[in-house]
Amino acid sequence: MAVSEEVKKTIESRGLKVADIEKLVAEAKASKNMITNGSKFIAKKQMGDMVVYADFNEDGSINSAYGHKMKILDIVMDTSDTEWTYVKTGAKIRKGHTNLSYLGATRSAPSLVDPASGESWLEEYLAAKTIAVAEMLFSQKRA
Amino acid sequence: MGYEELFPENDKSGWHANAAKRFASPFVDNFHDRIDVDPIILSNAAVQCGFTIRDFYEKPELGIHCVGYISELFDLLPVTHWFFSLPWVRELGVTLEYKDTLPPVSTGPIMQVADIENLEIISKEDLLKGSTVPLFYNMYDYVAKNLGHTLVPISYGFDICGAGSELIGVEEFIMATFTEQDLAHKLVDTYVGTAINGAELMADKYGFAMLIVGSVLANNDIFADEQIEEFSAKKMGFYVDQCFRRGAGPQIFYHMCGNQETSYKVFKRNLVWSPFTVTHIGYMGQKEFPSDILKQEFQDVSTCMGSVDTKLMINANPKKVYEHAKDSLLKGRDAKKGFILGTSCETPPYTIPGNLLALTRAARDFGTYGTW
Repeated sequence: MAVSEEVKKTIESRGLKVADIEKLVAEAKASKNMITNGSKFIAKKQMGDMVVYADFNEDGSINSAYGHKMKILDIVMDTSDTEWTYVKTGAKIRKGHTNLSYLGATRSAPSLVDPASGESWLEEYLAAKTIAVAEMLFSQKRA
Repeated sequence: MGYEELFPENDKSGWHANAAKRFASPFVDNFHDRIDVDPIILSNAAVQCGFTIRDFYEKPELGIHCVGYISELFDLLPVTHWFFSLPWVRELGVTLEYKDTLPPVSTGPIMQVADIENLEIISKEDLLKGSTVPLFYNMYDYVAKNLGHTLVPISYGFDICGAGSELIGVEEFIMATFTEQDLAHKLVDTYVGTAINGAELMADKYGFAMLIVGSVLANNDIFADEQIEEFSAKKMGFYVDQCFRRGAGPQIFYHMCGNQETSYKVFKRNLVWSPFTVTHIGYMGQKEFPSDILKQEFQDVSTCMGSVDTKLMINANPKKVYEHAKDSLLKGRDAKKGFILGTSCETPPYTIPGNLLALTRAARDFGTYGTW
């Protein structure tokens, strides 16, 4: 799979392994367990304590990868349609909020959701910025 | 002499350490001590320290130090804040005037409704050359140096409709929401876009930035629910979404003030809810917004902040404050994601100290989460 040096650096700087991301992409393509906005795909997988995401193209080339430690729980609400579709079922993905748990606390965060299957995905800007800071604050506040 | 030389240090290992644990508790489900009290103390802190309302706003470093110092007296929040309701408008051309008894106010509209066509969002580069970003940078640098234990960098979107409306005048804006809706939207969007750039600059410098954004002018005394949704709630949601995309957040404080009698129902579906969100609504009609309704509507997505009417805070009757605080606490204290006892809006500059004590006393007496 094509992974540019820049993307490789980003993946590794986030504590993820390129080989794991390539495997995630291969599994997602085989199972169709991924969402698409027509131009790219996002797939996720629980790896140890982290939920890891791959952002990739139809040819399998990887745009980015990211993750979060907060565990995905139930969908709190869904509010509007998005450009995303769940490849596995063809369902329209909705904008919503999902409960996440971390260090014993459960809080909600913006997400992409499929109410029918109960699945949720976090976009990169949220996982890499908002949720990353939230996890840091949770750790500090629990101390 | 720097302002820091005017104040003894906080009791960091005693008061502050305990207050910090309490402050964290509603967000991490690790309940500690009692429910927190946040009377949104601003220029009252300066008055209590012997300064003036004008001092508070003209000298932000002094003002925020007063907040940090006086919070210890009433066992309030362990973090500092300083703000006024019109950030970012100076960069859009409004002139603000300092007053002896008020926060800075606009000297008047600067354009006609038709001129909104020509408005543009202020870029990050131009904001750096303006007054709001340097004001907050200087103030938070001061806090980092002298009150580091209280530092939470905050970016204020504040009253999305009210602040934007200052450019053409509040009455003209209200009319425009009926007669010139596209222009009214453009006015608010320009303010929002500028505030987003401001939040990004705060996040650029401090790594993150708590967001405070509200709906004040947009309330049921002036607008119907549909207008509040279109001109305020949706814009607030957009503001937070875009701020998150630019690295600001994750903490959010939503402040809906004025009469939100029926409009409170439009916010949940339009706002963005992060793991560190507090929702506060001031009034239902002329009365404090009931904590049980606040809890029912928002406890799935947010920590709830109840209200004691600010008018009571200048009334020589601490027992009445205590009783209203008790009522708010009993109705809201078992909110799923935690509860904070607040006042309906900023506590007035001449708040009676005995009334602040009454809030804290009520929180000590009734401020458990109901599940301990």
